Amino acid sequence: MLGKIYTGFGFWDVSAWIAFFFIASFYALWLRSMGRRDYKKGTDQDEIYWSGNPVPEDGADITVPASSAYWGYKKAFTPFYNALVAFHSGITTDYAGWFVFVSAVICALAVIF
Amino acid sequence: MIGNAPFIVVGVLFLMGTVAILSERNLVKISIGVSVIASAINLFLVAMGYRNGGAIPIHYLAGAHAKVVLPIPQCLTLTAIVIALATTALMLALIMMLYKHYGTLDVNEIRRLRG
Amino acid sequence: MNWSQHLPALVVAFPLLGAFATPLFSLGGKFLRNLLFVAVSLVTLIIAFLLWRNVLLHGTILYVMGGESISLTLPSGFAFPVRIMFEIDALSAFMGLTVAIASFAGALFSLQYMNGFSGLHRFVSLYFLLTVGALGMSLTGDMFNFFVFIEIASVASFGLIAFWRDKPEAIEASFKYMLLSQISAMLILIAVGSIYGKYNFLNMAAIADAIQMTTVDKLILALLVSALAMKCGAFPMSMWMPDSYAESPSGVTCLLVTVSQVSLYGLIRVCFTLFGTVAQNSFIPWIFIVLGMMSMFFGVTMAVIQHEIKRLIGYHSISQVGYMLLAFGVGLSALHDPRALADYGFTALKGGLFHMVNYSMYKGLLFLAAGALYYATGTRDLDRMGGLARRMPYTTVLFLIAAAAISGIPPFNGFVSKLLIYESVFTVHPVLSAVALVTSVLTLASFVKIFQTAFLGPEKNQWKSVREAPAGMVLGMMVFGFVIVGFTLFPSWTISNLIEPAAKALVDQAGYIGAVLHP
Repeated sequence: MLGKIYTGFGFWDVSAWIAFFFIASFYALWLRSMGRRDYKKGTDQDEIYWSGNPVPEDGADITVPASSAYWGYKKAFTPFYNALVAFHSGITTDYAGWFVFVSAVICALAVIF
Repeated sequence: MIGNAPFIVVGVLFLMGTVAILSERNLVKISIGVSVIASAINLFLVAMGYRNGGAIPIHYLAGAHAKVVLPIPQCLTLTAIVIALATTALMLALIMMLYKHYGTLDVNEIRRLRG
Repeated sequence: MNWSQHLPALVVAFPLLGAFATPLFSLGGKFLRNLLFVAVSLVTLIIAFLLWRNVLLHGTILYVMGGESISLTLPSGFAFPVRIMFEIDALSAFMGLTVAIASFAGALFSLQYMNGFSGLHRFVSLYFLLTVGALGMSLTGDMFNFFVFIEIASVASFGLIAFWRDKPEAIEASFKYMLLSQISAMLILIAVGSIYGKYNFLNMAAIADAIQMTTVDKLILALLVSALAMKCGAFPMSMWMPDSYAESPSGVTCLLVTVSQVSLYGLIRVCFTLFGTVAQNSFIPWIFIVLGMMSMFFGVTMAVIQHEIKRLIGYHSISQVGYMLLAFGVGLSALHDPRALADYGFTALKGGLFHMVNYSMYKGLLFLAAGALYYATGTRDLDRMGGLARRMPYTTVLFLIAAAAISGIPPFNGFVSKLLIYESVFTVHPVLSAVALVTSVLTLASFVKIFQTAFLGPEKNQWKSVREAPAGMVLGMMVFGFVIVGFTLFPSWTISNLIEPAAKALVDQAGYIGAVLHP
């Protein structure tokens, strides 16, 4: 059941990973238990530190929206993404055209080879 | 040569349907293109099933023929016609609802889903 | 009479009966309809499981509709294979089981998810018809029958995608899918007609036996490949996929994913079994590989920039199909070279098949989890979500399992199948593995994005009153979660019982032909 799977160039053994998971979680819990418990509850010590500013009430004010995630990546690949988004134009006949085009190419290859 | 005439008609019809789908902007005309392709293929199936000199596969009507043709292409055609009918009806229903929602039948205007 | 010999017919007939009994049962009220919905999908799952087990124990099963044998035998002794039949080898049974699991989970999920909408008896009928179409496609042994089932599945899915007909986008997505899928159905029909015109058979095994390597055969193969590649979502023909996956109700989406996998099954069945001798040493493996690479890369790069949760996951479907196309392309190129097959081809096939079932499971779970988020918050926009892990713990854990599996994080099952693919395709060219690895990295990136923006982060005031999805929906997700964890913990059992028989059936063309023509 838990045996190895050989891929021809290596193998996969899930039991080693389960053992690793237990060791890692043991280590993490041990590390956590080393933390100090004598902080003062209800004072500044268990407040979030937000660059010294008061933390906003609503979480919506301090979240990064999904559209802004990977901003640098998107910025770096702007020309690529402009082309790719333009390709997904939303026009049904364009999609049909691409389908007919690919079918025609495959048929042409079939005749040639 | 005359034996190939049905296939030439099939090819012409198929191309007509394809061109209609690719170049027309009105959704109803596009659906007509789909129907034309479906008819072309039904014609293709029937023409493909023809065997020269074959008799119908009913024993007491076939006469003294040596060859009896299986009626499979006709069955295929009937099934394909029924399927084409159902999908055409559904397609026209969807076009009606698209017109209700978007107020147009122009395929270039119906593109809220993109990117 | 042994009842188990009728399992192949029952597995298709039972949901079909369910589809047409639903309007009748709906007269008896909501409870009766829901009971029918779950009971029929559960029984279908049980039948599919028994069928799969029977195939493993006794080998390929033939089931001829309305006759004892497949041939029409004349008094003169002349036999001709004309009857419609189901031929179920390990691969078909494996696909049927996958479809039945997805159908059951989607049914459990839809009970609560669709609660409160009108016209639900039509929804349930169409849902069962979609299941019938997918099951029939995976079990049939007849080309024209395959076309009929593909059309049943397509027409049912048009209706289901457009089920929320008040939303303009749903109708638009349905229309787009419909136009493309009608063209592809026409191409399949031309191919089927040409096969009949040339060989006078429609039976897959008889065609596979008689096939020659002429230009006409290659054209038929090309038509079938392009039509079925469109149905399973290979890149330049895949633009309908995120649209229709995003707009359909989530319980349906998880079944649509599996239906696209059944189309992929049709593709490999055609290329490996039907045209095994023609597809060898020709351009077809390279078509697979090129389409697969393009799907992987462009699918995932489009996914990274999306901010609507179901559209993002829909773009991932394209990239995941790319993995399988790549694996099957490499397997197909090695098919008739016993040494290459033993070296890397068979591993690639195993990886591809394992990825197919893994993909159906975790992608189904992802869509269901996205549906649960939509149910709880009423939005699909990731920009507006945030901090939902506190309120929806079950959904969070299940989503995390699926996201880890799709990103290929060990020890999850997605990693095992991706490992099998990476370690076999690089023998053809290292670039193939490199593109697959880059795709995997970008997949992880986009799922980190979903998890971080939807589940983690500070709680937004807007979502303070959000509650966990109802029990039925969580149960539906748990079916998939259970399967994923099972595949994760027992990979060698899964490989040797589920994947390897299927991969052997895929390469064993002579066995498929012999089961019909030389019993």
